[in-house]
Amino acid sequence: MNDAPATHAPVLDPITVEVIGAALSSIVEETGEALIRASYSTNIKERRDCSTALFDTAGNTLCQAEHIPIHLGSFIGIVPHILKLHRVEDMRPGDVFVGNDAYEGGGTHLPDIVLAEPIFVDGRIAAWTVNLAHHSDFADRGHAHIYQEGLRIPPVRLYRAGELQKDVLDLILLNCQVPRERLSDLRAQMAANRVGVQRFQALCAKYGTAVVMAAGAALLDYAERKMRAGIAAIPDGSWTFEDVFESTEVTQQLPLKVRVTVQGDTMSLHFDAPDQLRAGLNMTWTALAATAYYVVKSVVDPTILPNAGLARPLTVTAREGSVLNCVHPAAVNGRVQTCQRVSDLIIGALAQAVPDRVTACSNSVCTVATFIGQRPEDGAIWVYLETMGGGGGARATKDGLDGVHVHVTNTSNLPVEALETEYPLTLLRYELVEESGGVGTYRGGMGLRRVYRADQDCRVRVDVSRLSSRSWGLLGGGAGGHGAVECGPGVVFDKDNAVLKAGQWFAVVSPGAGGYGPPEKRDRAAVARDLAEGVIGEGTAREVYGYTA
Amino acid sequence: MARWRVGVDSGGTFTDVCLFDEEEGRVEVWKVSSTPDDPSRGIAQGVEEGMRRVAPDAAQPGAPVAYFGHGTTVATNALIQHRGVRTGLVTTDGFRDLLEIGRQKRPDLYDMQADKPPTLVSRDLRQEVPERVRHDGRIDLPLDEARMRAAAKALKEAGVKAIAVSFLYGFIRSEHEKRAVEILREEMPDVFISAGHEIAPEFREFERLSTVVLNAYLGPVMRNYIERLTPRLRDLGMTATPHLTQSNGGVIGFGTAAEMPVRAVLSGPSTGVVGAQAIGAVAGFEDLITFDMGGTSTDVALLNGGYCKLTSEAMVHGYPIKAPMLDIHTVGAGGGSIAYIDGGGLLKVGPRSCGADPGPVCYDRGNAEPATTDANVVLQTLNPEYLLGGRMKVRQDLAKHAIGRLAQQLGLGVMETAQGIISVVTANMARAIRVISVQRGHDPRDYTLMAFGGAGPLHAARLARELDMRRVLVPPYPGILCAMGLLLTDLRADFAATKLLPATADSVGEVAAAFDGLASRAAEWFAQEHIAAADRHLTRTADMRYAGQNYELAVPLPDGPVTAATISALAEGFADAHRQRYGFVAEGEPVQLVTLRLEATGRVRKAELKSYPDAGPDASGAVIGEREVWFPEAGAFVRTPIYGRDKLAPGNAFTGPAIVEQMDTTTVVLPGMHARVDSYLNLILEVAA
Repeated sequence: MNDAPATHAPVLDPITVEVIGAALSSIVEETGEALIRASYSTNIKERRDCSTALFDTAGNTLCQAEHIPIHLGSFIGIVPHILKLHRVEDMRPGDVFVGNDAYEGGGTHLPDIVLAEPIFVDGRIAAWTVNLAHHSDFADRGHAHIYQEGLRIPPVRLYRAGELQKDVLDLILLNCQVPRERLSDLRAQMAANRVGVQRFQALCAKYGTAVVMAAGAALLDYAERKMRAGIAAIPDGSWTFEDVFESTEVTQQLPLKVRVTVQGDTMSLHFDAPDQLRAGLNMTWTALAATAYYVVKSVVDPTILPNAGLARPLTVTAREGSVLNCVHPAAVNGRVQTCQRVSDLIIGALAQAVPDRVTACSNSVCTVATFIGQRPEDGAIWVYLETMGGGGGARATKDGLDGVHVHVTNTSNLPVEALETEYPLTLLRYELVEESGGVGTYRGGMGLRRVYRADQDCRVRVDVSRLSSRSWGLLGGGAGGHGAVECGPGVVFDKDNAVLKAGQWFAVVSPGAGGYGPPEKRDRAAVARDLAEGVIGEGTAREVYGYTA
Repeated sequence: MARWRVGVDSGGTFTDVCLFDEEEGRVEVWKVSSTPDDPSRGIAQGVEEGMRRVAPDAAQPGAPVAYFGHGTTVATNALIQHRGVRTGLVTTDGFRDLLEIGRQKRPDLYDMQADKPPTLVSRDLRQEVPERVRHDGRIDLPLDEARMRAAAKALKEAGVKAIAVSFLYGFIRSEHEKRAVEILREEMPDVFISAGHEIAPEFREFERLSTVVLNAYLGPVMRNYIERLTPRLRDLGMTATPHLTQSNGGVIGFGTAAEMPVRAVLSGPSTGVVGAQAIGAVAGFEDLITFDMGGTSTDVALLNGGYCKLTSEAMVHGYPIKAPMLDIHTVGAGGGSIAYIDGGGLLKVGPRSCGADPGPVCYDRGNAEPATTDANVVLQTLNPEYLLGGRMKVRQDLAKHAIGRLAQQLGLGVMETAQGIISVVTANMARAIRVISVQRGHDPRDYTLMAFGGAGPLHAARLARELDMRRVLVPPYPGILCAMGLLLTDLRADFAATKLLPATADSVGEVAAAFDGLASRAAEWFAQEHIAAADRHLTRTADMRYAGQNYELAVPLPDGPVTAATISALAEGFADAHRQRYGFVAEGEPVQLVTLRLEATGRVRKAELKSYPDAGPDASGAVIGEREVWFPEAGAFVRTPIYGRDKLAPGNAFTGPAIVEQMDTTTVVLPGMHARVDSYLNLILEVAA
């Protein structure tokens, strides 16, 4: 991703570039909306676990819709892999490539299925429209290596010149546990790409393909300039930060370390981590890069356009074969857990340089519960996946956000009324976890608790972290509360999963986040409010904040 | 004697009064400053002054008023400024934090400093009560009345002024909510209470909860406002029933409005859409995109076949609201939006605005950052010496200097930069229009752009060109179209029932029964509003989807009793809508009916727009001067005639470049565009074929 820095002046005037930039954003937003509205699975239609983007012919991101930052990791590899496996001269309008593989398809984990379609203008490929949907499938699998995790799909044609390749589709669907949903979501993905193709072609017809492509290149340069300007405003220096990662899947604490170096208008991030694991927590380099791009953009300047230009001043490295830069055949399904910890790792290093712009450690994980069962009426398998928010780290001037998705994920919850209508589950409670926000001048965000009851026999798998470690506070702030699994009578949690009999309950608790600044400096009115609202107990008010009502 | 229809649009800065003489078809306009501390004062003053001007002989100024319609920003402002009342909440046990958690997404993807809008009920005022209804209507756990009463007492103790009650599945089976409301009323007879099954009886608990809480939070504010306004109008001698616009563009009586403030948050902009609709219908243009550009924000909406689509849910100032609202899209950019160069060297405009005070640089009131208005003053599309028909002097030199600073940074000329600001604004507006048109499957080229608001006509021609739209319509009073809209609108109420049914002949009975239920609720409302049988009109639609999807498409029902043929017509209508929107039909997939809707319209006597005789094409008599105006097409200043809007007569025609000035706005006619005045005094701009 590290092209030579752009030194040439933009060919087009800044106004045309701005106008075409707005049009590209509008195209990716529109394709995203089509994907969500036409889809069937709860993971897309309600939880919006999907993303859309446009790429140039070299595979640079021109524009990504504001959905899920980690999906950029699956996007940045797909077009280069297609070009490696398929000849451009053999491509026709209406060809659609499908892929998901972490090693041969540019993906970051197998459920994220990407559809990519070349956009032809005047007989030549002018750009690519690409979208990704997290298919809630490949559940209840092993994670010793990627072959256990689901079907690996290198980029192959799902459509050839507009004609569905039914044999390919059939092969994919037979390997899925919920084929009807997969088919419907793939249709929605097709609808989204169709919108992308039409809108981009119309844009080229209006401005001329050469102007649009030049504007696309200028937008990459523009993002690069903004990133460089932002980095240059940070003092030169080198900062390291260490934390550990543990989860339900891998309970021993893995040491993770980053060194962030700022030199002029460039930044390098180097990560040290143990050898890759026989577990699904490994990250491919593209997942690591997407995570680093997200954090640096957020800290340096959140308004930088989400395109490939922003990556040019950044160097992201980690030892090959380590957890943070894994190689075949490492399993990767749960990589988002690790990505979240890496996000806070980078923030911990940058906090030493620009403490006002960062937050204390967030809940630092993406808590996931995946349920799988069989419908008694027809034996069909159902899979329900949900991710839970947690505490957002406290900020230099205000409290952290309570119960939100942080960093590289940002999916909605599923309405209880949809959950209970579609699956044999009852949600008994959904609440903020009292006392889980780290204490401080500004309080860390609170974690969430969800209490489920199985209405039919099923199996559940949970990914959650901060079981033995805690999310750190900043500049005197306290640590956030632990993540946890709570079991009702008769439920046995074995490592990361459990069998639930009809009527049994269990709960998942996501971690709280770290506080910012010493607690004794907290505004008395804020302490009183926290106490009145039950966010903290009387003990904490008295002992930590020295407050009595 | 009572022959005046009066429309009042009460905004943040001005209260516009539009008076329509039913006998002579004459329109009069009056404007007074708003009184934000108690808007009813400004309204009464505006009505009194306006009426005294047009009917000086009346014993009491309000006596000749036959109809009073009103659009208000009271609910919106209370929401924006978080000035609702101390509100309590009662939820199903285990779910009091849902109000705060929402959909668990953070407010901004990348900005870690961003915050969610404040939660309107603090955690200590959110009470949980054991009860559980299931999605199929079964009761798992009956309402714990003792706990409910304890919750009521606790809220009473806490001194709340309003209470929201929202239980899971309350829209499917409402008896627990109803009982909870009874208990609350027993404990607190004077508190304003809103319940989910009444305010928003639809699926998705968080959005419903948010709506009910907003309604409770705003309820006493609206009630108080109406209780102040009503006697003031009565004191003027007005006997006509006052009406208020809702977000759906229809008007309702004050009584209903006080109970449902959440339905009035788009009261202001929706009246503009209604005004545009009426003017378009008379002028013969039913496919319209409205472009209402003001000082800090711009509202756009699409009318297809004369109708603006209703949405059943939208985010308003950060809070989701489930209520019928016209599909109006708002962007934070207008005449006061500030232009600047960002860290990457690109020119940006807005969303920061200089407001009315200090206003743009050219007002010379201390602002040094150029706004859109300054660019227009420099380009001389706006009069470079004075605005508001001569009432306000402007300093072009200051505007030029401010834009010059941006030009230097960009390495462009001053005029190119000023034009650049207009181009960026135009692109932002085009994007807003794409949201309501192309993103909904409508091609803007098939529509006429109706421009109003103070800045709409100034930017409309460029915007139309950007979107390849061929026609722009500028109504005679673009600045007061909202007030005028109030005189052109029918009474309207929407009724809905969520009912998950297969779209097959088996559902005929249930669909018919559901619509019968809605029809009897509508009949009750008609009676309340004293609408005669001949003036009652009902429209039925069904929200449909493929089983498995969660977003529906609205499909109209054919007239007549519900039969198997009705259902199959619905299924066909759904397939067409799905193809138009998503480009495919899922053959053989089961289709569901989700929400059945009934729109009830009570026709009232409306202002009729008067047509004037043709005065011939010669517009030379309307030329009031000329000035140099910068047109990028020429890359230079072009000598351009200035027309006085009040002097233009029906039939008059001219070709751009031209500028049309009037007190409340300025219209730009681009080089080569044809302009003509229709018999209703609308100005119509067309691109040469």
